[in-house]
Amino acid sequence: MKILTTVKKVVDVELTIRIADGAIVEDGLQYVINAWDENAVEASVQLKENNGAETTLVSIGGGDNTDIIRKCYAMGIENGIHIEDPALEKADSSIYAKVLQKVYEKGDYDLVITGKQAQDTDSGQTGIMLAEYLGLPCVSNVIAIEVIDEQHVKVSRLGDAGTERVELELPAVVTVSDSINEPRLPAMRGVMMAKKKKIEVMDLAALGTSPEEVGGGAPKSEVVEFMASKTRQSGQKFEGNAADITTRVVDLLVNEAKVL
Amino acid sequence: MAKILVVADIKQGELKSSTAELLSKARAIGAETAVVAVGSNMSSLTPDLVNAGSDTQYMADDPGLELFSAGPFASCVVDAAKQFNANLIWFGFSESGKAAAPRVAAQLEAACATEITDVVIDGEQIEIVRPAIANKVMQRVKVNTGQLVAVVRAGAFEAADGVTGTENIVTLSPPPSDLKAVIKELVSDASGEIDLADADIVISIGRGAKDQAGVDLVKELANDLNAGFGSSRAMVDGGFMAHNKQVGQTGKIVAPSLYMAIGISGAIQHLAGMNGSKVILAVNKDPEAPIFNVADYGIVGDLFEVVPILREEIKKVRS
Repeated sequence: MKILTTVKKVVDVELTIRIADGAIVEDGLQYVINAWDENAVEASVQLKENNGAETTLVSIGGGDNTDIIRKCYAMGIENGIHIEDPALEKADSSIYAKVLQKVYEKGDYDLVITGKQAQDTDSGQTGIMLAEYLGLPCVSNVIAIEVIDEQHVKVSRLGDAGTERVELELPAVVTVSDSINEPRLPAMRGVMMAKKKKIEVMDLAALGTSPEEVGGGAPKSEVVEFMASKTRQSGQKFEGNAADITTRVVDLLVNEAKVL
Repeated sequence: MAKILVVADIKQGELKSSTAELLSKARAIGAETAVVAVGSNMSSLTPDLVNAGSDTQYMADDPGLELFSAGPFASCVVDAAKQFNANLIWFGFSESGKAAAPRVAAQLEAACATEITDVVIDGEQIEIVRPAIANKVMQRVKVNTGQLVAVVRAGAFEAADGVTGTENIVTLSPPPSDLKAVIKELVSDASGEIDLADADIVISIGRGAKDQAGVDLVKELANDLNAGFGSSRAMVDGGFMAHNKQVGQTGKIVAPSLYMAIGISGAIQHLAGMNGSKVILAVNKDPEAPIFNVADYGIVGDLFEVVPILREEIKKVRS
């Protein structure tokens, strides 16, 4: 089985994000691997270890992605492709999906695993759109993947009415939730080996496509302004005798907030 | 005039509140409205769909659509969107909406946006507002196509009083089933439990609840208040709470009138799932816990001591 995993380099959401003049202030930001993609990498490596698969990752944009790709190598991914092209600067999910479609078509993969969304946009569209463009079956928000045979996997998905168990005919695309696994910490030996491994860097031309073909010049939507979130103010905090302060808060919930 | 197609949010045979909320917003904008309902055995839902504020009802009612499958679901929405000639196609906030919206957008070659909190339509130009980066920022997004498929964030729009629609049913032909993604089994959520997405009060527990005794203690409070009973990630990972109870960016996003965070420290992923709540009460031993930064009311104390008092006091004022 050949598995393709996508990884995106995103802003570290744990740090403070500042906005000035409708844009995010770059100063002080750090960039990390998208957490959900780390779950996708872990899922791929587990399939490799348990069922024998060849694992490849692809990362689009992000500038110098060497650090996150090497991290994935250290976790156990075997091959890495980095697509970097100035035409992708304003890419939306649909454009990312079209680039991934080209990567997929070059590689004859059986299964594509992506994180269910990226932490910078929180959109959750790319993997699903990729499947749609490829005409492949797709299940999103997956919490378990089980190989049945060479042509089939069974996945569990958290849906609205419960856990849905779906049998997928390969090739297929799945997008994974962070509930699927706990990504491993790479062992030191893996980290050392990862440093020697090659990363295949390509632009759109090398991938056999063009900005026009993937819609690079014409995103279907674009962010025109970033704004600060409405932050909640911290309210009244009570310390002291539990009975006294709890009684006081219940009174406030009833008479001030009027929600009880 | 804009034409807005709302995808009916149906769960266990009932129409969820988001459908009326989205249709109210569509009518407030002055748009022509339609709803598309996908499922099985839905004839009894027609009055609800009309009363929610739709002027046309596209019905894809077929036994093959009983269990959710994103492919056929999306096909029905695309069919209705084409027949109605919709500029905007709105899904309520749900896992089915999140799974189907990108497919619909790809098929229509429309723009796609998830978790939108506002929309501005100026002639042909559509702009939306949505949170990003775990709710740390808001984005204003310009749509460059004349058509937008969007998932609306829970609690973004309110249902208006006195809204109703007109009955005009259009029957859709059932789509072929997805033979490459076959749903084999649905392990249903426990029935009779209050849906987190609908509950007026949601009470969630975190690591501070420690074990089953802690879970049971807080569950009693939730039962008293007829509240939805949710969880932080820690208690799900610990095996004490089911996956579908997780409130947060990766689980359920809730916006109740009152949210009680009991023993939850307040990781940003959790906050992103509940900071749209009207009023937040936090109970935590640690006075420095980040949850207090977003809480309207905070009780610094041991939940094992505080929760029984909460129950007693609430019983008193409610009796």
